[in-house]
Order: sequence, then structure tokens, then C-alpha cells
Amino acid sequence: MNLAEGVQLVSFAILAVMMIGSALGVVLFSNIVYSAFLLAGVFVSISGIYLLLNADFVATAQILIYVGAVNVLILFAIMLVNKREDFKPLPNAWVRPTMTAIVSAGLFVLLSTMVLVTPWAYSTESVSSDTTIVLIGQHFFSDFLLPFELASVLLLMAMVGAIILARREFLPDQVITPDKQQQPVLTLPERPRELVGISSDKTSNLDDSRRSE
Amino acid sequence: MDFANLVDQLNAGTILPEGIVLTTLMVIVVGDLIVGRSASRWIPYTAIAGLLAAVVALYLQWNNPNPISFLGAFNSDDLSIVFRGIIALSTAVTILMSIRYIEQSGTALAEFIGIMLTATLGGMFLSGASELVTIFISLETLSISSYLMTGYTKRDPRSNEAALKYLLIGASSTGVFLYGVSLLYGLSGGETQLSAIASAIADANLSQSLGLVISLVFVIAGVAFKISAAPFHQWTPDVYEGSPTPVVAFLSVGSKAAGFALAIRLMNSAFPLLIDEWQFVFTALAVLSMVLGNVVALAQTSMKRMLAYSSIGQAGFVMIGLIAGTEAGYASMIFYLLVYLFMNLGAFTCLILFTLRTGTDQISEYSGLYQKDPLLTLCLSICLLSLGGIPPLAGFFGKIYLFWAGWQAGQYGLVLLGLVTTVVSIYYYIRVVRMMVVKEPQEMSDAVKNYPEVQWNLPGMRPLQVGLVLTLVATSLAGILSNPLFTLANSSIARTTTLQPIVISSHFSATVPAENSALQTQQ
Repeated sequence: MNLAEGVQLVSFAILAVMMIGSALGVVLFSNIVYSAFLLAGVFVSISGIYLLLNADFVATAQILIYVGAVNVLILFAIMLVNKREDFKPLPNAWVRPTMTAIVSAGLFVLLSTMVLVTPWAYSTESVSSDTTIVLIGQHFFSDFLLPFELASVLLLMAMVGAIILARREFLPDQVITPDKQQQPVLTLPERPRELVGISSDKTSNLDDSRRSE
Repeated sequence: MDFANLVDQLNAGTILPEGIVLTTLMVIVVGDLIVGRSASRWIPYTAIAGLLAAVVALYLQWNNPNPISFLGAFNSDDLSIVFRGIIALSTAVTILMSIRYIEQSGTALAEFIGIMLTATLGGMFLSGASELVTIFISLETLSISSYLMTGYTKRDPRSNEAALKYLLIGASSTGVFLYGVSLLYGLSGGETQLSAIASAIADANLSQSLGLVISLVFVIAGVAFKISAAPFHQWTPDVYEGSPTPVVAFLSVGSKAAGFALAIRLMNSAFPLLIDEWQFVFTALAVLSMVLGNVVALAQTSMKRMLAYSSIGQAGFVMIGLIAGTEAGYASMIFYLLVYLFMNLGAFTCLILFTLRTGTDQISEYSGLYQKDPLLTLCLSICLLSLGGIPPLAGFFGKIYLFWAGWQAGQYGLVLLGLVTTVVSIYYYIRVVRMMVVKEPQEMSDAVKNYPEVQWNLPGMRPLQVGLVLTLVATSLAGILSNPLFTLANSSIARTTTLQPIVISSHFSATVPAENSALQTQQ
């Protein structure tokens, strides 16, 4: 093992520990602000691993988009919601985390066995890191042209949809005449099911079962 | 690689139908921006005209000698043309039924149609995509537009619940799918094209490795979410109940057809080495879907929820054709989806009409409808009976072709289970018909007693009427005059080269073509 390989190994170990530690923190902390900040830690460590793989452009994009945009958005959402609600402890609350832990551990064992058992076909050609952007650009305008252009349609419609959902509607005052049933604006025309039942605004069976849990 | 050479290689003419849909989408979005709210008079008709033009363009590309385009990213063979046609037609019929519904709910029509066209575009690209990145992007285009449409009536808590559930479950299933796809990329040593993946994996002797099996399971989980096969169906009833009804119609036909197109192409091109494994997994999914969908539908009181479970059951029937793995099996899938398009959309058109007039979708409220609205009763009865598979109607011929293909391929247990669950499904379809037709006048429900005068001249009602009559005629006649549809389904499969190796390797290859033509002559 020469010096370069040693540095690589050590930095990989540091990044991996950082990533797994902060990912566990995201899941286990009950304070959602801590989780959001630790998520940024996960993203930064992933971009470090991209750097180790010679993918400098992807690493930059990872930091810019995930840490700079997505994570900041999550933090804004948390700040804007700003609602404190104390949940009363459920009976048998330990069952669900235990089940989740068992399932996750099983999945981890399965996937790591798969990774170790499979004889992977390693790519032998070495990519010099100076030309990654050029390579990506060439792919975008030759064999990945169709998905690249389709992504623009996807982004356009995601933007339109986000505006529709976030837009404030100016609702006209509806005159509800008793003889003619008028549907309130921006709702489904079907009446909610438990209209005559127990006084509740809940709609589906699932809500009922959730309440009784 | 110079420019002229590149243009030649891209062969971009194959996506002309998608180009037409995209142009229509742009015209609608920009036109609505310029003209304002009064644009909602012409926008839906522009969209329908664009979709029909796309279908015509698809027809002109039939039997294209050079289907591979975009350097292998898109494959416009006859199989994809049929599926793209199904998706475009289903959107056209869905738009017919959505005009009045959206106007009455007070939401903006132009944006709704824009999002629906984007979903159509995603589904059409998904049917032809033969490369992993294209598959993923078109799948996301379809999914994200579907999430947006689900939450379109945003002041209704049911719609919010549906959108959130669909988004969360959809995002996790996409994640699982992506993991499986990335394993394929890794196992094949960096290939993204489906045909190259299969040969690279075979060359590297990885055909029985654990990684390939896990990748198969993960990919099937993603596909099964799209076609809402049990046990990946949990989102279906709640999303169907809380979404605007035209969206449900699109999800149950267009989105499902895209899912099946993806399933056929991915399983045949990328996993030909694991044919026994994927047929086994799909058999389990089909059994669960048929049993669960049809049995739970018995207990439903809301029409939308009932149709949700019925669509799970129908997905189970269609999977029989996929499991059969023969030419006849795939052709029967396409034939059934073509027929299912008309009968299911007809049922949803009736549902919308009844909801708009009475404001409810409870099954019990339909009692005695025959006295007040004979046309609606007739159409809903025909469509539901056809979904159940009652003989002279289209659904019967679709089912019998599916079961025949399954039987030929040796799937005896599956076909028998299909027959039993069909009988169960006939019970709950007939229950609604009986409710509407048989009841005495004094047993009429409150909603039907207060049934408003039938007015077809209200804005947006004409297209609804056109859609109603169109689906009614198609559902009643497609069974008797099914020969063109049969020919269409069979020839599209016969000309699709990616499906041929599988047919040769299966045990029944020698008998199938002969009996296939025998069935055609019987028809």
C-alpha cells in the first residue's frame, strides 16, 4: 500500500463513519431541527465519497443542490410550520421501532451479503478527473439527449404544480341556497362519508383505525 | 461525430407523436397565460385534438423498419406504439369527462389539462424507453404529474390525504426501483441500455448471482406499485377515494397501461436470464391481486373505492398474460387493456355524471336510478357487466383470450383462480346494477328522489355526453366486432423483435402460433 492508497483508505473511513453516524442521528433524534442539520452532514459526506470516486462535478452538484437548496428548504419548512405539539405516549410504543430495527437489520445483512458475494464487473478504464464535465456534456447531447430534454418538461410541470399548490386562492363568497346544493370551491363534489355519523372531519377508514391505535 | 451524422443517428422522427403532445401542452400553457380564464372554452378541445393527432401519427409509424432512436434510448416498435396509443386515447376520453367536473369544483382547467398532458407524455415515453435513465425520467414525469393531479382539489382534506399518501409511498417505491436499477448498472459493468445489460450479464456469468435476483425483486416492487398489484396496492383505495374522479380514471387506465408496458419491456429485455424467477414473482402478485382485489371489493360502500379494488383485481387478470410469456399472452394483455380502456373509462364517466348531479358516490344512493335517468343506468350497467365479463360484451372476450393464453402456457392453477375470482367480481358488479334497475319506486334513495332535471346544455356537459355514448358504443360493440382489435394486438406482438427470443425459449412455442391463428379464424 503506497501513500496515496493509504490516504484514500483513511479518508474513506472518516467519510463513512461521518455518513453513518449522521444518518443514524437523522433517524434517532426526536428534535426535527437536529435531524435537518445532520441531514446536511450526510449530504456533505456523500459528496466526499463522490470526490474519492473521481466524480468532481457530481460532488459539487451534490453540495450545491442538496446542501444549498434541498436542506435549506427543509429548514425553512420546519421554521414556517413552528407548531409545538406534545404527543401523548402510546401504549406498546417500543413495538414499532423494534420491528423497524429488525427489518432494517435484515435488509442490511441481505444487501451486504449480496455486495460481498457478487463478483462485480469492475470498469477498467480510468477517467481523468479534468474531463468529467466534458464527458457529461457529450453524453447529454448524444445518447442521453432524450432524458435530458424530457427532464425540462418534468421540471416545468413540477414548477407549475408547485405554484398551483402554493397559490393563495381568492375565494368568492358563495351564496348557499337551501334548495340547491352548492359544492364548496376547491373540494371534491362527493360528500364526505361520515356526514351523519360521529361528529368528525375525518374521512376514511384508515383515520378511524389510526385513532383507535 | 459531426452534426449531420448525429442527426441521422438520433432518428428523432420516431417521437413525432410525443412531439405533437408536447406542442399541444405548450400551446395550452402559453395560451392560457396570454388569453386568461376565458381560454378554458377552447383548451380542452385543443388538447383532445392534439391527442388524436398523436394517435394518427402513431398509426402512420406502424411497422417502422427502423424503430431504434436516440442512440438506443427509445424504441418505437409496434409494441410501444400500441401502448402509446392506449395512453393517448385514455387521456383524450379522460379530458372529455373532466371539463364539467373541474369547472364545478372551481379549480383551474388549463393547468389541470396541462398536468394531465405531461403525465401522458411521461407514460408514452415510458412505453418506448429502452434505456435505464430514460425509463427513470419518464417514470418520474408520469409520477410527479400524478401526485399533483391527486391533490388538485386542495381545500378538501380527503384530496390532501390522498396526495400526501401517494407522494410518500410513490417516492419510497421509486427509491426501491432506483436501487434495483442501479444494481443492474453495476452488474453489467456500466451499461444502461436494456439489451446491452442482458448480454453483459450473461457474458460475465452473473446470471444466477444474488445481486441479479435482488435487483429483479426491487425492480418488480417499483413496477408493481405503478400497476397497483397486491401487496403494493395499499395506496390505491385511499388515493382513488380522495382524488378528483377524472384523475382516478387516468390512474386506473393510462398510468396502469404504462406500468404494464414497462413490465413487459424490462422483464423481457433486461431479465431474460431469470425468466423462471420473474414469472414466479409475478404469479404471486397475480394471485394476491386477484384474490384480494375482488374479495375486498365486495365489502365496499363507495363506488370509487369499489372501482379501486376492482382495478387491483383487473391488474391481476392482466398479469396472467404476462406470466404466460407467449406471443398469445402478450397479445391478450394488449387486447384486454384496449377493451379495459373503454369499459373502465365508461364506468368512471357514469360515476362523474351521477356525482355531479347528486353529490355522492355511495352505492346505496344509486337505488332506483333507472326511473330517473335511463341513459346513465344503461351505460353504467353495460360497463360494469363488461368489467365483470358477461358474454356479449367486450370484457368477456378480453377475459376469455387472457385465460385461453394462460391455459395454453400451462398456467392451469392461475386460470382456474382467475375464473373463480371473476365469478366473485360479477357478484359485486351485479349488486350495483341490481340496485339501479330492480328497486321499486318507493325504495328509491334520497339522492335519486331529488335527482335534478337532466340538462345536457350546461357548459361542459356535452363532452361528458359524447364520452358516455362513445364508451357505451365501444364497450358494447368491441366484443362482437373484435377482429380488428385482435389483429392489432397480435400483429404488434408478432412484429416486436425483443419479444421473440422468449417465445422461442418457452416450451409452447411450436403450438402457439398455429392455435393463435385458429382463434383468429374462429373470431
